[in-house]
Amino acid sequence: MTRKTPESLLPLTPAVLHILLALADGERHGYAIAQEVEAMSEGQVRMGPGTLYGSILRMTSAELVEEVVTRRREDGDERRRYYRLTPFGRRVLVREVARLDAVVALARRKSLLQSPA
Amino acid sequence: MSDHPRPTRRSRLLAYCYPRELREQYADDIARFIDDTRLDPRYRDDPFGQLRVMARLSADALASLFSSLRSGAPRPIRVASPEPSLTQRMRSISMDALMKDVRFAFRGFIRRPAFTAVALGTLMLGIGANTAIFTLVNALLLRPLPYPHPEQLVSIWGTSDAQKQMLMSLQDVVDLRQRNHTFSDIGVVRTISVNLTGGDRPDRVIGNFVTASTLKLLGAKTAVGRLFTEDETALGAGQQVVVLSYAAWMGRFGGRRDVLGKTMVLNGRSHVVIGVTAADYLDPFESELWLPVSSAPSREWFDRANASVWAVGRLQPGLAPSDGQKDLASLEAQLQREHPQSGARPSVSVLDLREQLVGNSRFMLLVLFGAVVAVLLIVCVNLANLQLIRASTRAREISLRAALGANRARLAIQVIVESLLLSLAGGVLGVLLGTWAVKGLVSILPIADATPVHVDAWVLAFSFGIALLTGLMFGAPAALFGSRVNLQDALRARTESATARRFNARNALVAAELSLCIVLLAVAGLLTRSLVRLQHTDTGFDADNVLTAEFRLPSAKYDDSAKVTLFMSAALERLREIRGVASVAFVDAIPLSGNYGMVSYVAEGHAQPAAGAEPVTQVTNASDGYFRTMRIPQLAGRDFDSHDRVGSERVAIVNEAFARKEWPGEPAVGKSVRLIGPPDQIVRVVGVVGGVKQLTLSEHDSPQLYLNKMQASGIFASVAMRTVGDPESMGKELREAIWSIDPDQPVWKVRTMSALVRRDLAPAKLSVRLIGAFAVLAIVLAVIGVYGVMSFSVAQRTREVGIRMALGARGGQAVRMVLRSGLEVVIVAVAVGVAGALAAGRYLESRLYNVGANDPATMLIVPLVLAVVALFASWLPARRAARVDPAITLREE
Repeated sequence: MTRKTPESLLPLTPAVLHILLALADGERHGYAIAQEVEAMSEGQVRMGPGTLYGSILRMTSAELVEEVVTRRREDGDERRRYYRLTPFGRRVLVREVARLDAVVALARRKSLLQSPA
Repeated sequence: MSDHPRPTRRSRLLAYCYPRELREQYADDIARFIDDTRLDPRYRDDPFGQLRVMARLSADALASLFSSLRSGAPRPIRVASPEPSLTQRMRSISMDALMKDVRFAFRGFIRRPAFTAVALGTLMLGIGANTAIFTLVNALLLRPLPYPHPEQLVSIWGTSDAQKQMLMSLQDVVDLRQRNHTFSDIGVVRTISVNLTGGDRPDRVIGNFVTASTLKLLGAKTAVGRLFTEDETALGAGQQVVVLSYAAWMGRFGGRRDVLGKTMVLNGRSHVVIGVTAADYLDPFESELWLPVSSAPSREWFDRANASVWAVGRLQPGLAPSDGQKDLASLEAQLQREHPQSGARPSVSVLDLREQLVGNSRFMLLVLFGAVVAVLLIVCVNLANLQLIRASTRAREISLRAALGANRARLAIQVIVESLLLSLAGGVLGVLLGTWAVKGLVSILPIADATPVHVDAWVLAFSFGIALLTGLMFGAPAALFGSRVNLQDALRARTESATARRFNARNALVAAELSLCIVLLAVAGLLTRSLVRLQHTDTGFDADNVLTAEFRLPSAKYDDSAKVTLFMSAALERLREIRGVASVAFVDAIPLSGNYGMVSYVAEGHAQPAAGAEPVTQVTNASDGYFRTMRIPQLAGRDFDSHDRVGSERVAIVNEAFARKEWPGEPAVGKSVRLIGPPDQIVRVVGVVGGVKQLTLSEHDSPQLYLNKMQASGIFASVAMRTVGDPESMGKELREAIWSIDPDQPVWKVRTMSALVRRDLAPAKLSVRLIGAFAVLAIVLAVIGVYGVMSFSVAQRTREVGIRMALGARGGQAVRMVLRSGLEVVIVAVAVGVAGALAAGRYLESRLYNVGANDPATMLIVPLVLAVVALFASWLPARRAARVDPAITLREE
């Protein structure tokens, strides 16, 4: 697969952005990603298996995430597949968040948001 | 969730609802995800939790399926911004990909020149044949006639059981025009040869004797001058004026505008030119000029008892020909009551004008159209097979591409793109071929002016349409089945040999094309046998060395019967004196010339039937020596002779069929026949001759009766002249002999009797040639098809054959094994094909001459020939199976 620049993938779809965010602090398996996304968004974003694995399939081939090859976890569940961000995936996430940040800053200058966070 | 190392069976089944792309990679993970969700405490403890889980999962699965269908891939990463419109998406996704597919296809064509050439060649022939025949169908059957509201136009004829189109009484037509309630207008029509004199030499033109309404209701416009007024054509008050066709204006007056006011001597009388029809007015009756029916060539026309015209009518909007027919029939009955003395009237038939113009060719055109569609279907099937074969040989390439990320839809699109490129290129070539073929067909077909044949936008649209359809049809099987490749299977090993043994799609396609081929061959066979029978039919005369010609004396000049008879005997005398003439006679209707007459009669010894129910016979006026000249055998009695004169007893000669029908077992000579007039006349039979084919070679024996032309005063005559040498070279002498009596008398239609026979056979010959050519094309294509599929199945079964031979099978057994599968295909094809051929035969039946619809010879030989050819085509590749070396095939394992 030819190497892409992070910008060529922006803006990300909500599902992809949330999966990247869920994996930002470490590797997780599928259901754990979905739970993390739900928790992070305070129940706003819920992912079914189709949405989740559909996105992971694309993200894997775009080299945003990768499967963790050997898994030895204390919970001993070897059959679960774990995913983590690739360095490229992290760069894409950073660029996307920066882009969103700029948008938010702009919105704030226009006094669209009531108070700074 | 670690307590569930393996997903439950239920969840694994649910995972099956997800698109294949996901299942292939994540089936277990999805199932486990479902388990995790169901066991989540939030849902486990909620009474409606399981329902909510199921609802969420279903929505998710549907969304996944939908997104995979729509884009061919699930879940994009990037939000395309701004959200693109459908057309933008088509353009951005597809243009790139499409160009790639097109380039890929072109590289493929160059890599496989043989396949490309075969595909383009067969497509060109298939689409070309369709273009050519559709051009005719379009011009003759589909395109509206070039008149305003052509659907309202009808022709009006008399009709009886014996004859479809009979002339009607002019007086009756004039009354019908005034009294009817269903027509906007009715116009008199009668096209007839008119003598044109006053130039260097006498000439003949096709004149149309009409009322003013005729040209008006056809919507004729003028280039110069004007059309007739009602007064100019009124019976008893008409003017001697003439309207020229544009062609006659150009040809005879060089298109000069000062033609208006010039006089033309027509049938011996001066007529003033008052107008010329516009260049774009296409006359349905091919008239060269129009004359008021009030200047009829003979005064007999004004007699109500004389049938001399027919008519064209414009129905009131919304009415059907049958409405007009009902109306006119009741008016005819009314006229019959008012004028009983003018004899029994035939019933009236009102038919669509198009039917009148092209009705005869409709049947053959539809048969031809069926044939070319069959050929195109065979082309399709063949190419579909070639593509299927290629798809299965490319199975591994395709799976590799699929594994590298190409999705199924894209692979299918690529096959379709390739097929469409081929079919469109074939379509362009086909249109060129078809246009060229149409030119050839038009030069040998009799095409009416009103239905000019040319390739128009509809034809181009049709050809483009069938090219597209063809491409889709032959690409579809490969696109559907070819891309349905199981990734692992295909990558793991060679294609399964077991699939080759089934009666699979390829075999079904071959069987289909073979059965189409049988139908086409059977139709060609039936028509050919019918033509051969027709060619060898007994015409009843000897056509060799006979020259014929026609003339009509102008009644203005030959205004009493004595003058006519004088001319006829003098002319006959001169013609006999020509060196190289064996014998010569006059007759008013040369066989197969298109001329004929019919008369109702009552034969001696038979009771008078009800008026109008009398039997009908063909009637011909002939001079003495006619039978000798035509070599029609004299079976009893005598020929006409010089003792039969005007004033002496009226004599007749009947044919065998007449004598047998009216006086079976009795001598006909001496019997009398009453010919229904008016006025009735009694004639005495003095001889019996053999029957002749008068109207067409395919007619069956019917009663014929000859009157002595020297006892009648008919102004129309045909010359029949038997020559010692080549009749073709005697035309000049024939003309000069007539001109030596009257230098103003035009003579036309100088042609040999053999040419008339050939002309009668021409349509049958043409259709046999065309259908035969299509059948040969079909069989060649079918052989290619069978050979291709059998070669492929042999190649696929090489391993199986190798193993069998390693286990002791002989080469011959291998050949038989392959042939057996070929035989299966042939048996299916023969069964279907013969059923189709029998159905087609029944459709053709009415057009076959002395050949049954299920002619056993055709129905046996055709399938047999095809079976042999098909088996031969499968035997060629089968031999290869015998040469399989088990050592080599097994080593490849």
